[in-house]
Amino acid sequence: MAPLRTVIAGGGRVGKRTAELLDERGHDLVVIENDAETVAELSDEYFATVIEGDATRPSVLSQARLDRANVVAALTARTGTNLAICMAANHLEPAVETVMRTERSVGDEYDGLVDGVIFPETAGARAAANAIERDVRTLQAVTGTLDMMEITVADQAPVAGKSLTDVALPRGSLVVSAADGHRIAGSETVLEPGHTYIVAVESDVSDEVMNLMRGL
Amino acid sequence: MGHKQRKPAAELGLLDATMIGMGAMIGAGIFVLTGLAAEIAGPAAILVFTLNGAVTAFTGLSYAELASAVPKSGGGYAFARETFDDVVSFMMGWMLWFAYMIAGALYALGFAPNFLELLHVYGFVPPLDAVGAIALPVVSATVPAKAGLAFIAVLCLVALNAVSTAASGSVETVFTIVKIAILLVFVAFGFLSATGGGETSFTFQNFDPLFPGDDSAFSILPALGLTFIAFEGYDLITTITEEVENPRENIPKAIFASLGATVVIYVLVVVVAIGTLGAPGLAEAGEAGIARAATSFMPADIPIIQNGGAVIVFGAVFSTMTALNAVVIASSRVAFSMGREGQLIQSIGQLHHRFGTPFVAILTSAVVMLGSVVLPTKSAGNMSSLFFLLSFIIVNGAVIKLRRERPNMNRPYEMPYYPVPPLLGILLNLVLTGVLITYLLQTDQLALLLTGGWILLGGIAYYALEWARSSDSETPSSEDTIDQPGVETGVTSKEGGN
Repeated sequence: MAPLRTVIAGGGRVGKRTAELLDERGHDLVVIENDAETVAELSDEYFATVIEGDATRPSVLSQARLDRANVVAALTARTGTNLAICMAANHLEPAVETVMRTERSVGDEYDGLVDGVIFPETAGARAAANAIERDVRTLQAVTGTLDMMEITVADQAPVAGKSLTDVALPRGSLVVSAADGHRIAGSETVLEPGHTYIVAVESDVSDEVMNLMRGL
Repeated sequence: MGHKQRKPAAELGLLDATMIGMGAMIGAGIFVLTGLAAEIAGPAAILVFTLNGAVTAFTGLSYAELASAVPKSGGGYAFARETFDDVVSFMMGWMLWFAYMIAGALYALGFAPNFLELLHVYGFVPPLDAVGAIALPVVSATVPAKAGLAFIAVLCLVALNAVSTAASGSVETVFTIVKIAILLVFVAFGFLSATGGGETSFTFQNFDPLFPGDDSAFSILPALGLTFIAFEGYDLITTITEEVENPRENIPKAIFASLGATVVIYVLVVVVAIGTLGAPGLAEAGEAGIARAATSFMPADIPIIQNGGAVIVFGAVFSTMTALNAVVIASSRVAFSMGREGQLIQSIGQLHHRFGTPFVAILTSAVVMLGSVVLPTKSAGNMSSLFFLLSFIIVNGAVIKLRRERPNMNRPYEMPYYPVPPLLGILLNLVLTGVLITYLLQTDQLALLLTGGWILLGGIAYYALEWARSSDSETPSSEDTIDQPGVETGVTSKEGGN
C-alpha cells in the first residue's frame, strides 16, 4: 500500500507528536500551524511540509492539497475549532477522512460528523496513574522511545509469508509475538500476511520496519 | 531470537552532504568530460565550465528553497510529486531516473580508459590505443575492452549495493576528500611546470586564440550542453535529505558550498590541463585527458609509485568508480521513491526482506545501465545532460507553482529576487536544451532517438500502470482505507487511545 497522506491542523504538543509518529512509520505529512514560533520548531524537525496560517480558513486549508490527502486530523486545543476544520475539509473534499481532538470525553456525540474522535487526556491520565501506582503499568509508560506496536503484515509486503530465519529486520526491532499473540515468536515463526504481530521498534528504524511489514 | 539484524543508516552532517554533492560533480565529470569539452570548444573549455556553473546556480537556488520546504528524500522527483499532478511528476521521475542511469554508463565508460591507462603506466598492458579488444575465454568471443570493463564495473557496484547498505553514506566523504586532494596536487604541479621549460610545461600561449579557428563564441554552446551533467550534484544532495542532520539549514548550505567549490576546482583543473597539454592534445586523449596531461608533467622519479602521473591516473580511476557508485545509489533511490508513491510497480518501492536494500529498484536500474555501456561516451554524456536539463526545468517550474498556489507554505530558505532566478533558470535551461537537441540532430541521432524512445516508453508505462490499477480496483480487494474508521488500520500502537 502507498503511504498515507495526512493533513494535521495544529502543530502543538499533540499535533507535533502525532506527525512525528506517523513520519517514523513512513507516511507523508502536512502540518498547518498559525503560530510563527511553532512553525519554526516544526520545520527544524523536518518531518512535514508546514503551512503557516489559520486552518479554519478554506484558503489556507486548501493549500494542504486535500485532493490528495487520505486523512485530515484536527488536533488543536479547541473542540469548536477542530470541528470547524473537519467540516471545512469535508466540504472541500468529501472523500477525505476526518479525525478531531476534543477537550473532554464526548462519547458518540460527533459520530455522524467526523470519522474519529480522540481525547488525548485519557492517555495522559493513564500515564499519570502509572507513575503514581508503580507496580501496575500499561505498556506505554514503560517504554521511552521504544514503541510496542501491533502490526498486521500486508499481502504485498516484502516479508509476507517468510519465516523469521529468512528475514533480517533492522537492529533496534524485535518481533515479540507469533501470529495473533498466543506465543512468543521464535526463529521458525512465519510472518503470515493478514496476521497481526507485536513488534518492539526503536523509533529511528520504524520506517524500515513499516516498509518491510506493511510494504510502504 | 533467530533473526539476523542490520545496522540502520547513520546521520550525515553538513560536510557529508556537501561532499556527496561534490563527489558526483567533481568525480567523473572532470576526468571524463574535460577532453570532450576541449574537442568542441578548444581553450574556451574554461568558459564552458564557468558558464555552466552560472546557469545551474539559478536551479541551485530552486533546489535549496524546495529542499528546505519539502522534507522528503527523492530529489527533484519528490518536489515534482508534491507540486504537480500525476503525469508531470511521473515524467519527472522517469526522466531523472534515466538521467542517473545513463550517467552511470557514462562514468563506467570514463572508468574503463583511465583504468587501462593506469595499467599502462605500470606496463601491464600496451598503450590505450593498442588495446582494441579483450578476449573472453568463457564465451569465446571478443568484446571491445572499454565496454567490457565498463560492464564489469557496473556489475560489481550493482552487486555491492544490492546486498549491502554499507556502500552508501559517510564513506563518500573520505572518498571525495581524496579526490579533491589528488586534483589539487595536479593543479599545483601543473603551475610549477611553467618554470620547467619542457615541451608540455604550463604556458598561457595555449589559450591563444581562445576560440579556435574561425569559430565564434557561440561554438562553445554544444559543449555547455554536453558537460551540463557535471553539475548534477545538488539533485544528488536532495535525494538523501532525510538522512542529513538539521536539514533545513544544512541542505541549502551544502548546495551552495558544493556548487561554488566545484566551479573553482573545475576551472583550475581545466586551466592546467589546457595550459600544459594544449586543447588539441587534451581533445585527442578524450576520456583520459586529465590523466594524459598529468603523465606529461608530473615528476617521474618518485619511489614506489615511480611515475607521479600515476597518482592522477589513480585519481581518475578512483573518481569515476566512486561517482558510478553514487549514481547507482541515486538512480535506485529515484526508482524506489516512485515505487513507494505507487508510480512504478510496487515491488520497486520495497526493501529486500533480508538485505534491507531497495533490491528490485537497484536491479531494474542495473539493466538499463548495463545496456547503455555499449553507447559511445559522448552519446551517454549528451543524453544524461539532456535529461538533467529537462528535469531542472521542471524543478524551477515547481518553485513558481508552489509560490503561487501555496503562498502560506513555510519556506525556511527563500531565494532572493524571486521570481528572477527560476525564470532565468527555465530560460537558460531551455536554451541549452535547444542547443543540445540541434547539436544532436547534426551529430548524434542515435542519442536523440534513444531519448525519444525512453520518453515514449515512459508514456506507455504510465498508462499501462494506470490501466492495471483501475482493473485492479474493480475487483473488490481486501485492502483497507477510506471506509474504515481507524486512521491507520494495519498498525496499532500499544498506547491505548481514549
